[in-house]
Amino acid sequence: MTNFEFSGRQRTLLLSGIVLGLVCMGWTWMNDDPLHSRFWSNFLHNSVFFTGIALMAGFFLSASITAWAGWYVTFKRVWESFGLFLIVGLGLMTVIALGNVFHWHHLYHWTDTSILDASVPEKFDSILAGKAGFLNYKWYLGGTVIFVGLWYFIMTRLRALSIKEDEGNDKDFSSHRKMRVWAAAFLPIAGFTSAAMVWQWIMSVDSHWYSTLFAWYTGASWFVSMIALTIMTIMYLKGRGYFQNVTNEHIHDLGKLLFAFSIFWTYLWFSQYMLIWYANVGEETIYFKERWDNYPVLFLGNLAVNFVLPFLVLMRNDTKRKWGSLGFVAAVVFVGHWLDFFLMLKPGILHTAHEAGGGHVGGFAAPGFLEFGTMIGFLCLFLFFAYTMMSRTRLEPSHDPYLEESLHHHV
Amino acid sequence: MADYKDIVYGLYDDEEDLLKAVKIAGDKHIDIMDVYTPFPVHGLDPLLGLSESRLHIAGFIYGMLGTLTAFLGMTWIFTKDWPIIFGGKPHWAVPSFIPITFELTVLFASIGMVVTFYLVNGLGPGVVNPTIDLRITDDKFCIAFDTAETDKSSAESFLRSTGASEIHAKTI
Repeated sequence: MTNFEFSGRQRTLLLSGIVLGLVCMGWTWMNDDPLHSRFWSNFLHNSVFFTGIALMAGFFLSASITAWAGWYVTFKRVWESFGLFLIVGLGLMTVIALGNVFHWHHLYHWTDTSILDASVPEKFDSILAGKAGFLNYKWYLGGTVIFVGLWYFIMTRLRALSIKEDEGNDKDFSSHRKMRVWAAAFLPIAGFTSAAMVWQWIMSVDSHWYSTLFAWYTGASWFVSMIALTIMTIMYLKGRGYFQNVTNEHIHDLGKLLFAFSIFWTYLWFSQYMLIWYANVGEETIYFKERWDNYPVLFLGNLAVNFVLPFLVLMRNDTKRKWGSLGFVAAVVFVGHWLDFFLMLKPGILHTAHEAGGGHVGGFAAPGFLEFGTMIGFLCLFLFFAYTMMSRTRLEPSHDPYLEESLHHHV
Repeated sequence: MADYKDIVYGLYDDEEDLLKAVKIAGDKHIDIMDVYTPFPVHGLDPLLGLSESRLHIAGFIYGMLGTLTAFLGMTWIFTKDWPIIFGGKPHWAVPSFIPITFELTVLFASIGMVVTFYLVNGLGPGVVNPTIDLRITDDKFCIAFDTAETDKSSAESFLRSTGASEIHAKTI
């Protein structure tokens, strides 16, 4: 089967997942504090998570093209489709950005501009005044629209050239050469701009706090989630009879990436933690004290699920090739990194909400049913979009110059 | 001195020819002494019936030994043997132990695996390497038969029929 057929049953299933998410969001909205902190924090949490997965799919596709890698080519449409989700991510993040402008929500302490007035000393916040050049709604809105729009634009170029190759007229590889230029350009663009957007979207919920490797840490979390979702998607599609050319050799390599980047994530987690713990500067340790005191289960469970489990299970050669063990780890790690983002965002948002007189509702101490329901809604939206994109063209490329290498891939 | 072996070996120009020949030898139950290639040929190990190396299991055990040595060692030193306060931290300051624990894990695993590998393979200073043909480190792929196990003429005819470009006999 060369084309993926997005069946009516799959559509119904995913659409009902989206409806479930919408019901959960509506339910959250109606039982929320006056600021709707729970609704907006769930919205931000999932938008950031899935936009980041889309970005990382495009980023890794570009890295693979730039590195002249060939092994992934037979399933590259999965990453192309994931990457195109950036257009939905752009919409979702723009809603948050417009919310800053029109004060629909109060997720970020810095959106309260009254603290920037030095003539009112009892309200004046000198730290946020110092950051106001970057932490303001213009930067947030402009960065979101321009940078995510740019990422999406480059993804559409990569996708269009990839489809053009399938026509088979690309005797001098001109499409592939153009693709290589776009991919190489995307790497530094995504590298620098994603860091700026991570500071805006995620780190600035703890608006007084900062960590210089936070963007790397978040990026690693996104990356592991993206690989986990890729593994699960390929396993699902193989189970439906597609992707006959994707063998256990490809699955094995994806398993290696899941293993390696889980360790990379842990390395960044620990680097951030140990430096702050060792220096013991109050402005910095507050981030971890907050999480250690109020979120001990999530804080330590984060390490258990996202490091100990993949490290011990995927260390062996054969567990990366067996669908049971690899699929299980991918599913657990995917949820684990979603919880990681929960832990990055919720404590800071709760603090901001408390100061503004809200936040006395559930969904902050630990994810409840509404949080998981919202996540399922966003996941189904992501998959619905990705499957739609996959069904629009050949599922497996036919004339990529590296296709033969991919078909004969051997670990 | 070690026992001498009379061997017959053939040189192939391409790894695909080598893989085909090894497969035919396996089907016909011809006993190959060893195969020599200038680089790791994908798919050769299962054709030769070689089981997966157990070196990594040894590596895991050495690594765990390193982990325990570092962690328990530092625990004993900083809580019992010579407790000193560093930077206002508690004596048993686990985060500061992690980098050294990691390093000793890597050190024990790597050195342990190198030593095990050398011991198992009888390698070490002063070992003479009986190179069958100098070009097996360059561009030739070699299948060798021990004439004590495989009849010389049948080995030669096998090599000829599977497309070996050169066939030689040698005592090593």
